[in-house]
Amino acid sequence: MAAETESAVPSSDPPVGAGDAQPDLLPVRMLNEFAYCPRLGTLMWADGEWAPSLDTRQGLFTHRRVDKGDRRAVPESDAPPEEPLHARSVSLSAPGEGLTAKLDLLELDGPVATPVDYKKGKAPDLPEGAYEPERVQLCAQGLILRENGYRCDEGVLYFAGSRRRVSIPFDDALVERTRELAAAFRLAAANDRLPPPLKDSPKCPRCSLVGICLPDETNLLSAEAADEHTGGALHRKPRKLLPALSEALPLYVQQQGAFVGKSGDRLTVKLEGKKLTDARLLDVSQICLFGNVMLSAPAISELARRGTPICHFSYGGWLNAITTGLAHKNIALRIRQFEVAADPAASLGIARGIVAGKVRNQRTLLRRQLKERDKGDRNHPALTALDDYRQRAEHTTEAGSLLGLEGMAAKTYFAEFFGLLPPWSRGDTNGRNRRPPTDPANAVLSFLYSLLTKELHVAVQSVGFDPMLGVFHRPRYGRPSLALDLAEEFRPLVADSATLMLFNNGELSEESFLSRAGAVALTDAGRRSVIAAFERRLAQEVTHPIFGYRIVYRRVLEVQARLLARAVTGEIEHYPAFTTR
Amino acid sequence: MRHAYLICYDIATPKRLRIVHKTLKGFGDPLQFSVFRCELTKLELHDLRERLAGVLHDDEDRVMIANLGPINGRGDESIEFWGAPLSLAPDRGPTIV
Ligand code: SF4
Repeated sequence: MAAETESAVPSSDPPVGAGDAQPDLLPVRMLNEFAYCPRLGTLMWADGEWAPSLDTRQGLFTHRRVDKGDRRAVPESDAPPEEPLHARSVSLSAPGEGLTAKLDLLELDGPVATPVDYKKGKAPDLPEGAYEPERVQLCAQGLILRENGYRCDEGVLYFAGSRRRVSIPFDDALVERTRELAAAFRLAAANDRLPPPLKDSPKCPRCSLVGICLPDETNLLSAEAADEHTGGALHRKPRKLLPALSEALPLYVQQQGAFVGKSGDRLTVKLEGKKLTDARLLDVSQICLFGNVMLSAPAISELARRGTPICHFSYGGWLNAITTGLAHKNIALRIRQFEVAADPAASLGIARGIVAGKVRNQRTLLRRQLKERDKGDRNHPALTALDDYRQRAEHTTEAGSLLGLEGMAAKTYFAEFFGLLPPWSRGDTNGRNRRPPTDPANAVLSFLYSLLTKELHVAVQSVGFDPMLGVFHRPRYGRPSLALDLAEEFRPLVADSATLMLFNNGELSEESFLSRAGAVALTDAGRRSVIAAFERRLAQEVTHPIFGYRIVYRRVLEVQARLLARAVTGEIEHYPAFTTR
Repeated sequence: MRHAYLICYDIATPKRLRIVHKTLKGFGDPLQFSVFRCELTKLELHDLRERLAGVLHDDEDRVMIANLGPINGRGDESIEFWGAPLSLAPDRGPTIV
C-alpha cells in the first residue's frame, strides 16, 4: 500500500535527544558525536545546534528502513534477516548511568539482551571492528540494558554498506572508556566555553557543523591573540571548508494585492487568481513581503518548520517584523550577550571594532571613487580626516566619544559621497536625511539600509542572538540594535556601493521616483531595481581579508555574525570587523 | 554544488502516479509527461530518494535517475529538445515579483 506523502524535507529536524524532557540524561547518539569531536558533541547537546548533512540523513534513512521493516529493496541499504525475538526502536533510560537511548533493534534471548545499531556505511577494516565513537555509543546502550536488569556482554553493529554484523564485546576497557567520555561530556556541557576546535583535522571537512563551528577560522583568531603576547609567527591560513555560495535565495513579493500560497513543496505567487511565479521551497532562503501582500497559513507554518524567516516590510520599505519558527535554543549565548551588553567596557571593545571597521570601509570607498574622478589625489582632506577618526575610534575609552566620532566620520564621508552622485538625485541638502527622505539618493540609501538590516537581523538571529540588544546602538523599543550594530561595517560595502552603481549606471532615473508633499519614494519598478542591485551585491565574491579565501558577501554576513558570537563568548579576544582594501 | 538530474518514471496506479508527480514538482520542473529535470545537492537528492521510497512499489513501478553533471556546466547543455519542453531551464537568481 502506498504510504501517504510524508510532509516535506525535514531540513530542520532536531537531533534525536535534543530538547528532551530530561535534559540531564545524556542521549547516547550525542555521546557518539562527542567521541568524534568534543566540540561537535557540545555544540549539538548543550547549544542545540543542528545542521543536516548527507551522513546524518543517510543514517536516519537506514534507521527508518529498520523501523518499517524490509518491505522493499532500498537503493542504498538493506535490513538484515529478522531475528526470532526482537524489538525495534526501543527507547530506554538508565538514571543511574545518566544515559538514555533509542535502540535500533534489541535482540532478546532469555535474560540476555543484545543491542543492534545500524550504520549506513561499510564495516571498517580495524582490529576493534569499528571506530571508537560507534563502539562507545553501542557500549552505552549496553550499560543502559544492564541497569534495566538484562545481561548484556556484547552488542552488534550492522553495517548496511557491506551487510555485515560486527560483534563488539563490552570488555572492561570499553566500559571504562564509555563512562569516562560520558563524564567528560557532562563537564564540557556545563562549561561556559566550548571545547576548542580540532587543529587542522581531516574530520572537519566531513563534519555537519563545520559552518557553525568555523574550526580553522577560530583557531587562527585565537592563535593570533596568543601570538600578540608571545610574539610568535602567524599561523597557517584556514582551509576553505565553507561552501562559497548559498543555494537558496530570497523571494521578494512587492506586487500589491499578491497572494503567496503553498502548493506541495512549492510557493506560488498569484494576483487575482493568476499565477505570477512559483519557486521550489528548496530555493527560498527567506521571503520578504512589501505592504499589501497576503500569505497563507499553510505557507507560514511550512516556512517556520523549515526555519525560513518571513520579513514584513511596509509599502514604503520600512522593516516592520520578522516571523520565524521556534526560537533558537542557544540560551548560553544569549546570557553572555546580555552580560556583555551590561558591561560597558566589554560592549565598548566590540563597538570600537565595528565603528573603526565602518570608517575604514567608508574611506576605502571614497579613496577608490576619488581616485577615478580626481586622477589620484591621495591626500584628499576627507581621506586624511577619516583616517584620523578611525584611529581615534580604535582607542577611545568612552562610548559617548565613539558615538561622536562615528557621527563626524559620517558627516565627512557623506559630504563627499553625495558629490559622486548625479545632481538630479541628491536634492538641496547634499547630505543624509530620512523619515521621510526628501530626494532620490536618500530614498535609495534608506531602503538599502533597511534591506541590509533585514539581512543581518536574520543572520544574528540564526546564530542564536537576541537581535534587539546591541553593543553600540542602545536598546530602544522596536529597534533591532544588534542587527544595526553589525550592519555598520557593511553599509559602505553593500548599500553605498550599490547606490553608486544604481545611479551612475543608469539603472535608476527620475521616472523611478514619486514625489509627494516633499517626500520622495521609489516606484514599484524603481524598488525592484534596487532590490536586484542589492542581491547582485550580496552574490558578489570577495576575498576575505583575514582568512584569504573567496566567498560571496551573503556568506560574509553569516561568518561575521558567528565571529561576533565567538567574541561575545570570549573564545576569540576581539571581534574582527570585515574590511576591504 | 547542485547537479542537474533527469528523472523519469513509470508508475502502475493513478494514485501513486499523482503522488510521485506531486513529489517531483517540489524538486524540479517537468520537461515532458513523466520526465523531470531537477537541480539538487546530494543532500536534496537523498531527500527525494527517501520520499520516493515511501511511495513506490518496486515490483510494479520504475524510476530512472540520470546525473547530467554540475549546473552551469555540462548539466545545462546535455539535453536536446525537439518541440517545446513543458518548462524552461530555471532562473537561478533571487525571485522578485
Ligand atoms: S568542524 Fe571540526 S572541530 Fe568543529 S565540531 Fe566539527 S569536527 Fe569538531
